[in-house]
Amino acid sequence: MKQAALVAKAQGIAFALAEYRGAPMVDTDAALQSKVDDLLPAVIQGLTARAGMASVADDVEPVPGSVVYAGSLDAVTQHFHERLWTDGLPVIPPTRERVAAFLTFTDRSPDDILAVLPQESREASILSIAVNGVMAGCRPEYMPVLVAIVEAIADPHFHLEDAGSTPAWEPLVIVSGPIIKQLDLNHGAGVMKVGRQANSSIGRFLRLYLRNICGYRIPPGDGDKGSIGYSFNVALAEDEDFAARIGWPTFGLDQGFPAGTNLVTVQSVLCITPPVYSAGTRAEDHARQFVAVIGNAFAYWAYRGLRHNVSHPLIVVGPAIAEVIAREWSKDDLRRYLWEHSTMPASRMQGFAVQTAGLGIDFHDLVQRGHIAADYIASDDPDRPVRTFLNARDIGLVVAGDPGRNQSRGYLPNANQGVRTSRRVELPRDWASKLAACA
Amino acid sequence: MNEIEPRYEVLWPLARRAVRNTAAAARAPDLAGRTVGFLWDHIFRGDAMFARIREALVARYPDIRFVGHEAFGDTHGSGREAVLAALPARLRERGCDEVISGIGA
Repeated sequence: MKQAALVAKAQGIAFALAEYRGAPMVDTDAALQSKVDDLLPAVIQGLTARAGMASVADDVEPVPGSVVYAGSLDAVTQHFHERLWTDGLPVIPPTRERVAAFLTFTDRSPDDILAVLPQESREASILSIAVNGVMAGCRPEYMPVLVAIVEAIADPHFHLEDAGSTPAWEPLVIVSGPIIKQLDLNHGAGVMKVGRQANSSIGRFLRLYLRNICGYRIPPGDGDKGSIGYSFNVALAEDEDFAARIGWPTFGLDQGFPAGTNLVTVQSVLCITPPVYSAGTRAEDHARQFVAVIGNAFAYWAYRGLRHNVSHPLIVVGPAIAEVIAREWSKDDLRRYLWEHSTMPASRMQGFAVQTAGLGIDFHDLVQRGHIAADYIASDDPDRPVRTFLNARDIGLVVAGDPGRNQSRGYLPNANQGVRTSRRVELPRDWASKLAACA
Repeated sequence: MNEIEPRYEVLWPLARRAVRNTAAAARAPDLAGRTVGFLWDHIFRGDAMFARIREALVARYPDIRFVGHEAFGDTHGSGREAVLAALPARLRERGCDEVISGIGA
């Protein structure tokens, strides 16, 4: 209800709300009917009495770029915590001087507006990116990456409006290109763990931005309906030298950009698989293990990719594993193997769909709409195997991790929410000299 | 400690809102003879809720009419952009005076 009211206010529309109390998926039919009866007066009232509008014009807010507080680090931290302007951790105070340093790393004006973002309809200004970048602990030279991240999530293709949905997905930033080395992003041992400034603070920036500009705040905020979540993702970078050495295209190339392009890609991650340890000297030794662990882990949520006709699963392949596979297979070969061999009984997929939201999968309808191939309905056997990956093409493969270990991991997206979206990183004039001055 | 601790002047970390208010439509005093459309995001038993609402409203307003959610499509599924874009025209075509929309995801 609070999220709905927040969105209505930000959209400038007035509508009445009637709340079903509790979780309908666990109520008996009788309980459901009783609860609907309880909300009927609110439904009738809402349809017959003009709803009042809580206008944002009623809110008096500071002018962007204005100083809103002055105090010690502790006092600033407390001030920001009380206003829900942090992620619960201390922030670097966004002073005018610090923000100005970030702004030197973009040729754009601080007043430039990239987009108006859901769900609070706030302007994604260059200034707001700099301020939140400071707060997250970024360095000024990360600014071009931060701008590209916001451009990516502002693309309607990404579906930022779903970032506060109940599955509680988190965005993941993947950085490609020479800027990986220039900003000292970790792509080796301990990748995806906090600890390296660039990876950690860039990941934290995006979470802060989703809170402060988009309004996705867990209670006592109103905008995030995530039920049980997990922490923000640090930024992921690829070991591009290793990928080149084994003859695999980089992840950036896979997204359709020329070699050497500085790129950020953002996508949703709903959950992370266990570490996949695999052994052997043949490509299939490892691919089989990916199917067994990652394919199985992704099976539960597979129906969503099929239903929404979009899914961008991601696998971070350990360099040692990638090297073995690359001796025999291209990345497309690996993708095709995973797609062909990751299956589950159709009845199981049906069961997962019904348990989650109440509606099963209509395979015939999905075939008719072109989401899935006709072989999904090749027989009426409820336990016939059906593929869990929507397609081979969109399985993302990033080479990263400890080259001395035989480990990989899978990252499950949330189908049509947080759809994989890439943007070039636009560097400022005199990038090299500015970067050198930071060293 | 406070004597030597720096004092920070900090900028507002949010941004201006860009909102255009849309006035609410006038409401009828009751639902007699009105046409109510149902919009659904195809999750969490909205269909069962709509059935109950429909039953209760018919009991109270015998000449009320309804347009089922099937007429509009899944507001949360694949192709939702097209569903939402077509919505104003479809609501007009079907003569909807009011709408009840299920939300929650």
